[in-house]
Amino acid sequence: MLAEILHTLPQVLIDGLALGAIYAIVALGYTMVYGILELINFAHGEIFMTGAFIGTAILITLTGLGWIAVMPALLALLLVLVITSVLTGFIGMGIERIAYRPLRKAPKLITLITAIGVSFLLQDLVRFITEVKRGNYILTGPSMFTDRVEVKTSSVLSVFNDASFKESFIIVFVVAAIMMITLDFFINKTKWGTAMRAVAQDRDTSALMGVNVNKVIGLVFFLGSALGGATGVLFAIQYGTIDPYIGFILGLKAFTAAVLGGIGNIRGAMFGGILLGVLEMFASANLTLMTNGVFGAEYKDVFAFAILILVLLFKPEGIFGKVVMEKV
Amino acid sequence: MKKYIDLMKSYTDKVKDNKLAQGILLGTYILVTTLSLYLSGKSVIAFLLLLASLLLLHFTKLGRNTKWGIAALVLVVLLPLSASQGDAYQSYMEVGTLVGIYVAMALGLNIVVGLAGLLDLGFVAFFAVGAYTYSIFATPQAANFLSFGTFPLGGEYFWVFILIGGFVAAIFGILLGIPVLRVKGDYLAIVTLGFGEIIRIVFNNLDRPINITNGAMGLSSITPPKLFGLTFTFPSQFYYIALVILVLTIFVVRRLEYSKIGRAWKAVRENDIAAQSMGIHLVRTKLTAFAIGASFSGMMGVVFAAKQTFVDPTSFTLLESITILVMVLLGGMGSVPGVILGAAIMTILNMQVLTELTNWLNQLSLNNVISIPDALSPAKMQRFIFGAILILFALYRPQGLIPAKNPIFNAAKLKNGSTPKGQEKQKQEVSLKKESASYVNLDS
Amino acid sequence: MSILTVKNLTKRFDGLVANQDISFDVAKGSITAVIGPNGAGKTTFFNMVTGVYKPTEGSIMMEGQSLVGLKPHTISRKGIARTFQNIRLFGSISVLENVMVGLHNHLKGSLLGIMLSLPSSKREETFAQEEAYRILEYVGLAEFLNDEAQSLSYGAQRRLEIARALATKPKILLLDEPAAGMNPRETKELTDLIFKMREELDLTIILIEHDMKLVMEISEHIIVLDHGEKIAEGNPEEIRHNPKVIEAYLGTGAASTAS
Repeated sequence: MLAEILHTLPQVLIDGLALGAIYAIVALGYTMVYGILELINFAHGEIFMTGAFIGTAILITLTGLGWIAVMPALLALLLVLVITSVLTGFIGMGIERIAYRPLRKAPKLITLITAIGVSFLLQDLVRFITEVKRGNYILTGPSMFTDRVEVKTSSVLSVFNDASFKESFIIVFVVAAIMMITLDFFINKTKWGTAMRAVAQDRDTSALMGVNVNKVIGLVFFLGSALGGATGVLFAIQYGTIDPYIGFILGLKAFTAAVLGGIGNIRGAMFGGILLGVLEMFASANLTLMTNGVFGAEYKDVFAFAILILVLLFKPEGIFGKVVMEKV
Repeated sequence: MKKYIDLMKSYTDKVKDNKLAQGILLGTYILVTTLSLYLSGKSVIAFLLLLASLLLLHFTKLGRNTKWGIAALVLVVLLPLSASQGDAYQSYMEVGTLVGIYVAMALGLNIVVGLAGLLDLGFVAFFAVGAYTYSIFATPQAANFLSFGTFPLGGEYFWVFILIGGFVAAIFGILLGIPVLRVKGDYLAIVTLGFGEIIRIVFNNLDRPINITNGAMGLSSITPPKLFGLTFTFPSQFYYIALVILVLTIFVVRRLEYSKIGRAWKAVRENDIAAQSMGIHLVRTKLTAFAIGASFSGMMGVVFAAKQTFVDPTSFTLLESITILVMVLLGGMGSVPGVILGAAIMTILNMQVLTELTNWLNQLSLNNVISIPDALSPAKMQRFIFGAILILFALYRPQGLIPAKNPIFNAAKLKNGSTPKGQEKQKQEVSLKKESASYVNLDS
Repeated sequence: MSILTVKNLTKRFDGLVANQDISFDVAKGSITAVIGPNGAGKTTFFNMVTGVYKPTEGSIMMEGQSLVGLKPHTISRKGIARTFQNIRLFGSISVLENVMVGLHNHLKGSLLGIMLSLPSSKREETFAQEEAYRILEYVGLAEFLNDEAQSLSYGAQRRLEIARALATKPKILLLDEPAAGMNPRETKELTDLIFKMREELDLTIILIEHDMKLVMEISEHIIVLDHGEKIAEGNPEEIRHNPKVIEAYLGTGAASTAS
């Protein structure tokens, strides 16, 4: 059995890294908002989904105009990423302004319910816009970066099978890495990043120190949503087909990743995302094998939630988080 | 002109305080709507207006027993009788049954969300547990993993299974609660959401290694209930089952709300640290809320399965959980009359209004009056509508349509107490002293 | 006779020491005050006694039984009740119901009995209402019985916290800054109430308070904390003249000037 698991390990790692990178960036959005407002922004998964649709729509339009054929693919990608992230960034800011800000002093239960509402609203808006335009809400974008690259992992260790990946894997991974490094730099090295950390620590005191709290919170939503939207584009390119309901489960898993890494902790979210992606791919490749066919790959979602529950039970502060005590 | 307005006002004021006038007005209203439903046979509007009489009833100043009497008259006799004349009889009774089922579920969720303040986003899982509990034993399915007994069980067992379904759902509530209720409040929402999905995925795949749920195929030909040789197959019959369970549910919820358990729930909701230092066992209190809420849902799951004679995992999606949440928020969290109203509105909206509206719009499109793309048909807009209701109510009316009310106590009555007046002073002193003999702590 | 004994009590949060090696006895039936500058670790001490925090080291004994590691609700049943510095009432339920919550463990109705509405549970409910009303009368809030707790004035909210704590029928009552935010008249009424409770209800009272006039007036014993450590202990007269205490409150050098 071990040998069989090892055979597929290189491929599992590659697929897991691609998925994990996507979880990681979406997890960033959850963790940033949670860090600053202590709110689980359920709508964040939907921002990701909206990003996937906006990106695909732009690509389809560009293809229709014939630009894609003449433009270098990388340039087109960059263009799409920038437009999409700016748009989803503003959507995120708008949601905060309309739905969350008026409730900042309300019981948390109410804000959570609003977040669910926003999430459902976005799903259906995207559904009917797509359905009106295309007649079907399941969308397949133009294929890009689909050439397969073979990796001769068998030459490293003979038990490994060879693995392969699409070119888009490299795109996903590199773009994700660039976004994460930039964000990390932004938060730790810039004036606005410092303001964000200050507001997360103590909102009232930051306000007294002259930080414009509302602006900072808006910025957090913009950044988180922009990253989420861009990730949606990456997802669409990597996996091809999207529908308005991809955001919910993916968002849930990204949230799991954020909790795994320690909620509120930026680097923790990145690590948690990658870890969860690899674990999930590993589970879906090997569950059947390891349980003698009792559980199959269809249980991979259950597996992710089980991780969430276990982490919350035994290490609720996550891998990199700090234990927080409620002040009495 | 002003004179007339004043006159009108004095009339409305009179009606506000006059029970007799209210009774007569309500009686007339019920009579008119009953008659119009009776005569028209198929009129959604008459049907809805007759149901609305219960809402009017709620706002009258009539005595409690009178209100219950009138409600019973409308629901048991007038509604079924007047609807029975038309060919839409069964579809009205179907709506009535579903309203009953959803109201009971919403009342269950109201205990968890409204009273105990715990956001449960996977509530439909307990409904599924109840439905499957009955379905597995009321179809040949159970024979796959039980070596004794003959399956399907007969329809007489249905009545026991209402209790069993509630009980099994309560156990699931506790099993979920034990790990989950130790974590911080806001994580609860996401964990219960995950749990709801887990249950659905498990039911969807539990056709192997042992075939328990028959997987995505679902379970069909579920045995209908039987009582004294009478087999229940029509919605008009299930209507009464749902009604009886609903009345019991309302009774129990009312009792619990104004008891030490209900107060403990509210205390935990308002401030868990203070609640604990008042001697309230936090986890146990939350678990009780989870278990009782789940059991309502489980019982109605059994009824649902028997009514549909078919269950599969698609009936138990996240959308269902959110629908029940919308019912609670719309009506008023923590408010029993509010939640009943919210659940009734949402069920009727889902079952009747959206489909009727869709049909009407389709008709218009067919006649080329307007053209509405299929994507926008109201029946497909559920998520949009639910989402909008959640946001709008959370923002502008978080207390819901009929806000929860605190009980009003009569100071004079409490002052005189149940003890004779002369002893009052003495009793006060004795009872305030600690360790007075009447307090035996059985909980610990 | 001491009712509460604290030995070498220490609490550390992530390296930050909130309480360091605190030991003292509280005499049964006494009024004891815990004083000290802000951040001295007074509330942390209360939180350890009531089970909200678990001590890092040390022991807390009540009548010979250890309280360390017990959950807050168990400690409440053992007879310790408290009020909170930042008021923690059940804001949206009525004043009477707030007190009724305090009676929780003195009502024995079972879940089944309540659901079936047995006569015994109904009787008990009536009893709870009357009892809660008497407690409200005792603290002088009876007229507000049907108001929402959060609608009360600040002083009344503090009183309601006391009423709610009394409903648990404690042997020891911990008051965390009971006079904070009160005007002189309210403070006077509070002082009377504290005396009355101790006399009539056989209570031991421990309070944290910044109002020195109040502290000196009502307490028989005073414990002074500073930077998490106990720096002095004694009766009001001793504390008033203790150089260490004066230094803690007024800064270095103040003690010599004062004497």
